[in-house]
Parts: sequence; C-alpha cells; structure tokens
Amino acid sequence: MRSHFSHEISFIGHRKQFLTLSCILVILSIVGLAVRGLVFGIEFTGGTEIDFYQTGNITIEQMRDALAATDEGTATVQTTTTQGEAGFLVRSDTTDPTTANAHAQAAAESLGLTSDNYTVTTIGPDWGADTTRSSLMAFGVAILLIIAYVSFRYEFKMSITAVIALIHDLVITLGVYAWFQIDISPNVIAALLTIMGYSLYDTVVEFNRMNENAKQLRDGVHHTYFEICNFSINEVIVRTINTTIVTLVPVICMLAIGGATLKDFAFAILVGEILGTYSSFAVASPLLAIWKTREPKWAKLEAKYGSAQKAPVTPATGKVGEKNEPKEG
Amino acid sequence: MAQKQDREAPKTGLDRWNATESKSRGSKGARSARPGRTKRRRMNPTVRRYVSTLVVTAVVCLACAFCFTPLGERITTGLDIQGGVSVILTASKQDGSAPTADEMNTAKTIVEKRVNTLGASEATVQIQGSNSILVQIPGATDADSAVQTIGQTGHLEFVRLDDIGDADALAKIEAGASNVKLEQGTYTAFLDGSYIQSTSIAQSSTSVGTYAVNVTFNSEGADIFDKVTKELAPTKGQICIVLDGVVQSAPAVQEEISGGKVSITGNFTSDAAQELKTVLDSGSLPVSLNYSESRVVGPTLGQDSLNQGILALVIGVAIVIVYLFFFYRGLGILTLGSLVVFAVLYLGLLAILSHYGMFSLSLPGLAGMVLTTGSAADSSILVLERFREEIRMGRTVKNASVSGARHGIMTSLDADIVTLVTALALFFVGTGTVKGFGLTLALGVACDIVTMFGFKAPTLRLLAAHVIPSHPGFWGVDQDIVEAERRSQEAQKARGAKVPASSAKGGEARA
Repeated sequence: MRSHFSHEISFIGHRKQFLTLSCILVILSIVGLAVRGLVFGIEFTGGTEIDFYQTGNITIEQMRDALAATDEGTATVQTTTTQGEAGFLVRSDTTDPTTANAHAQAAAESLGLTSDNYTVTTIGPDWGADTTRSSLMAFGVAILLIIAYVSFRYEFKMSITAVIALIHDLVITLGVYAWFQIDISPNVIAALLTIMGYSLYDTVVEFNRMNENAKQLRDGVHHTYFEICNFSINEVIVRTINTTIVTLVPVICMLAIGGATLKDFAFAILVGEILGTYSSFAVASPLLAIWKTREPKWAKLEAKYGSAQKAPVTPATGKVGEKNEPKEG
Repeated sequence: MAQKQDREAPKTGLDRWNATESKSRGSKGARSARPGRTKRRRMNPTVRRYVSTLVVTAVVCLACAFCFTPLGERITTGLDIQGGVSVILTASKQDGSAPTADEMNTAKTIVEKRVNTLGASEATVQIQGSNSILVQIPGATDADSAVQTIGQTGHLEFVRLDDIGDADALAKIEAGASNVKLEQGTYTAFLDGSYIQSTSIAQSSTSVGTYAVNVTFNSEGADIFDKVTKELAPTKGQICIVLDGVVQSAPAVQEEISGGKVSITGNFTSDAAQELKTVLDSGSLPVSLNYSESRVVGPTLGQDSLNQGILALVIGVAIVIVYLFFFYRGLGILTLGSLVVFAVLYLGLLAILSHYGMFSLSLPGLAGMVLTTGSAADSSILVLERFREEIRMGRTVKNASVSGARHGIMTSLDADIVTLVTALALFFVGTGTVKGFGLTLALGVACDIVTMFGFKAPTLRLLAAHVIPSHPGFWGVDQDIVEAERRSQEAQKARGAKVPASSAKGGEARA
C-alpha cells in the first residue's frame, strides 16, 4: 500500500520558475509604488476623518450639503457599509480638533443623527512623521535582532536569505496597496510588522529542518544541498499546509465580519500570510541552496552527484520510499 | 521490545535522530514503561514528572481563571471599544531642544489636573515616548468641552484686589470664597506666570505643621512684585492668584517683598500647598503642548466593533477546531486542550496587567489576539506533525512522543522567538496602536511557550504511554504505523534479509 507520504514534490527543481515569478511580482510592485504611489491615511498626512454609522436613508448629496453648511465643503465623502448598515466616511484637511468636532456635530444634527452615530479622528500635521519614524525604527531594530538571532542559532547565510524573503513579502504587500490604492493606516503598519513575524516563522521552520538534515541526513539518496533542501521542504509540507489553513481562517473571518479597524489588519495579513508561506519555499530556500552550493564542500557533492542539474531524484511522481534505502547494514 | 527494536532498527531516515540522542532516551523510556505497567499503583518517575507538570499547569490555569472572571470587568477595554475621547498631545520647546523627563512629568501633572476638572474619574494621562502625552477619557461624550479643557493653555496671572472691577466677585473674594470666576476685561493683571522661575513647598516658619509655597520670580518679575508689594504692604492688600480666569488664592501682603522670593502662607496643609504649587506651575508650563491626534468614539460603535471582533474570533477558532479534528482525529482533542489552556493563561495575564493599568484591550489588540491564537494552533501542529513523522520513521508511539514533542517544541521555540523579537521591537520602539499590538503579540507568544511545556508535551507523552498505541485508529496514527511497516519491509527486502514481515516495527509499536 502506498500512502500519501511517499511523494516528494520538486520545489527546488522549479526554483528558476519560482524565482522568476517572484522577480516579476517584485518589479510589478515597485512599478506600482513608483507610478501609483501609496495613499497615506490621515494619520500620516494630518487631517480629520469622520465616520458616520447607521445613517439609514441619508443620501450622499444630503451628507455633502450638510458638510458644506459647516465649512467642510472640500471634504471627500465615501459611502461605507458596516454590518449591512449604510454609513459615510468623510475626510477633510481640518487639523484643529475643536473645529472638526464642532463641524461633525453640526452636520450630524442637521441630518438628525446623534453623537452615537459618528466618530471623529483628528490628527495633527506632525504626528504622521513621528509615527512613521517610530515604525521604521521598530522595523530596523527587529531586522537587526532577527539577523543576529538566526545567525547565532543557525548560520549567517540563513539569516540573510530569510531577510531577503521577508523584504520580498513586504514589498509585494505594499505593491498590492499601491495598485489597489488602499489607505495606509497605522494598523496597516502594525500588520506589515506582523507579516514580518509570520514570514520568518515559516522560513525558520524550514531552515530548522534543513540545518538538521544537512548535518545528519545520510540516507544515500539526498546528497547535494539542493536535494536536502527539497527533501526538507517536503518533510514539513503537511505542517506548512495545515498551519497556513489554521492561521488564515481567523484572518478571513476578520475580513468577512470584522469592523473597519479589523479589516485594515486582515487584508494586509491575508496577503502577507500567503506570500510568507510562498516565499519560504520559493524564495528563501532556493536562494539558500544556491548560495550554500557555492561552498567547497557542497560544490564537490554537487559535482559528484549533480542531480539537481538534470532534475533529480525527485520528479513529482517519484517514490522516495523506494529509494530511501540504507546503504550500510 | 523497544530495546529489541533499537538493536534491529534498520538505518533508515530515522537514523539521523537515533545517532544523536534517541538511543539513551529510547532505552530509558522502555525501562521506565515496564514497572508502570505491572505496578499500576506506584507511578514511575517519568510519569510522575508529567503528572506533576500537568497539576502545576492546572493550578496556574485555575488561578488565571479566577483572575479574569467576570471577563467583562476584569479586562480593561480601550477607548475605541467603550467610547470616549482620546487625545495625544506633543510637547515641544520654544528653543527646539528636546523636553526633559522632569518637564514632561510637570506637563503630565498639569494635564491631569485639567482633565480632572472634567469630572472624568477613569481618565488616564500617560507619557508616551519622549515627548507625547496620551489622554484618554472613557465615556466622555461631549468631545468639544473635553478637547477645549485639555487644550487650553494654563494662564496664570497675579492681580491686585483693587484692580478687580467686578463688584460681585470682589465681595466673594473678600468673604473668602474659593474658585471665584472673573470675567475677561473686568480686571488687569500686573504679572503673569511667565515671570516665575521656580516654585517649591516648605514647612511654614511661622506656624508649626503648616506649609508655605515659595515662589521665585526672575529679575524683571521681582522688580514688578517689589513695586506692587511696596504699595500694598501698609494696607495689607490682597493679591489674587488667577488661573484661567479663576481666583485660586488671594493671600494678603504682609510686607514689601524685594529680591523676587515670595512665600505664600495661609495655614496650608501639605496637600493644599501641593495644589497651589501645581497651579503656579501651570502658568509656567515648561513645554508647549500641541495636538497630534484627537479621537472621539461613540460608545455604542465601539461595542459593535468589539462584538464583531469577538464573533470573528469565535467563528475562526471554531472552524480551526473542526479542521484539526478532521485532520488529526483524536489528537485534535490535544490541540483543543492546548488552545483552551492557552486562552485561559492569556486572559489571566491580560486581566492581571489590566488590574495594574498596564493593559487595555483595543481593536488592534484584539486583532493581535486573533493572530496569536493562530500561532498557538501552529505550535500544536508542529508537535503533532513531528510526532507522526517519527512514527512513520519507525519509532514506537511512546518514543516518538518523547523525542517528537521535544523536536517539535524546539522548532516552535525558534519560530516563536523570532516572533517575540518582532513583537518586542514593536512594543518598545513603536507608539500608540503599534505599541498595544506588540504587547498582545508578545504576551501571546509567551503563553504559547508555557502551554507547550506545561500542557502539550506532558499530555502527549502520557497519552502515548498506553492510550494511543491501543487505539491508533481513533488517535489518527494508524496510517503512520502502516507507513512505518511498509518502509521497514522495503528496507528488509533491499537488504535481502529473510525476515518475516510480522517482526516489522509497526507491529511492535502496536503491541
């Protein structure tokens, strides 16, 4: 009886395709960032955001008229839907909270709404710079600590490839935000930093196994670093699939039924989580294997067995079990 | 039997783990298993260790459960959930230099005093980072007045009583009433707070047990004060100390004061003197405060968002649990148990932090909780996958539970530490929502690590001793045992050994 455990999928064999796809995505993202640019929320630019909820039958024209009557005529108005209830999102460049509150109150009153129906957020012009600076610093500090920890625990090459995969994920996520012109709020920044954690989590789990196998695997089948790398990815594949499902389900729930604040997070994390899983086997691992194979020890093995060149021990249909035989008693 | 297997084990993929540690582990496990089976009454040391770990975990969980019930009251909800006004003020100095910690503390005290005049008992004023003050007034609905009160610049003035034109007010002050309000334009001040250099409290020299507030003016202020007191001293005229148009105190001048050192006496208690000092300090705010962020949330809206978030959490977790049962069958119970222990520890920790005012649940924080629940489930998956993998490699269920759990936890720990590093960077370097998010993430990771050692590993090992091997189908490891059998047979075929299939390891594992 053959069980489903005996197949080894050739991830590393397809490294050129994976890396090309990633390059295309990164380039597309950079183009998106350059051409369309990121839309920063008022937290970064300064201004006022008024969320009206449960506004019933009020039309967007009525809302605009009400705002115009309070000197907020230049504000942009969007319709929103929260839990099936209609609402509006109003953005203006008013940076004085007292004025903004007074305007919101006046507009709400003229539309017959109470203070329960809206929230007002006013951000001073300097705050965005502070938030950005502290977020960038948090990011920088975290990256340095991660490189230090992974280098200490495993090796330097792993820390660099892990960070490359991470930056790959972040750039593409930002690219998605640029192409879809979704607002960047501090919540999105927090979500980006979480993606960082998740992306690394997957990569570390795979590197952990590769590190172990590179030192101890002597099964007579997997000789080169490419083979060991591919074998390791396959060994943890069930865990990768299950973990991805388990972490994505709550995120998708947040996206589907969470409020506006939670959706900010959920979208970035959904994109980042999928990328994080993908980049661990399609970016970090192949890059590491390519780099490691340049080391004399692995280069020699590669020259001797060289199977990675002519695609391998591991055709997608290969049965490892058959080959996974002991050479010595 | 396990010993026999160790000797006969073919050097398959598992070999790489055997080589390093399992020999000693495996045989130890086998030895300790036997007495457990024959003398059921006395637990062997390994089992006792697992059981006592579980007992400790149970006690900690009970304590946590006690901490967080009733949930609604024990975990502080943030402003975005219960509604209210949140304002962030940024301090800056005129000369552009960074404000010192002392100056920030003074500014914080002053803001606190202003917030308290709003009658908001649960308001919190915190210093954030090096130059921001976060003011949160839960339940405040009148955003305008809240924002105005916090934002006003404390204007301290010194007014001669005879410069006050409002007769009503004058009468009240002379009668000794406090907090008399003066209308703008009905009085003229001879000095304001900007002339004050420093203030301090001292024991009064005239009457024992009372306090005096000493004020030092700068040279210009000293000159003016000298002139005014010279005129007032003969008649013991009063000087009103007016903060934002309200008379705070109206001491009488006893003598001419030159040199700019003024002592305000009046049988003050220590608290009263402190209060007056704060008033005097308010006028000489060491920094200027500007709005950085103001957020007004309607109380019912926040509650709606919270309910949505909790609903998302519940549905998400429910789907995850169903999936885990589907995939891991009986072992899903272990995952469910781990999630419950994790949740109890997590909520307990949050309740304790709430109690000390170090935590309040915000919507981003809630998202952080949802995410950490995901990684808690992941660490279960890592352990279970490693456990089953080692069974496939030919280990007995019992041995696999020992080394599989250990390897799984090691991997999980590495990944957790990386997340923890990120979370701590967010917490210490970030501000506002980013900070709160980092805190929930870091706490979640910590709880996950405790759950792994305190619950997951010992439970898996206890179950693996007898329960799992006798019902491999229910616990979802039957397929792995079949796989191990197949590999072992192939290995033997390859070696050309004429060993009957019945001695394959899979069979042993079940025995």
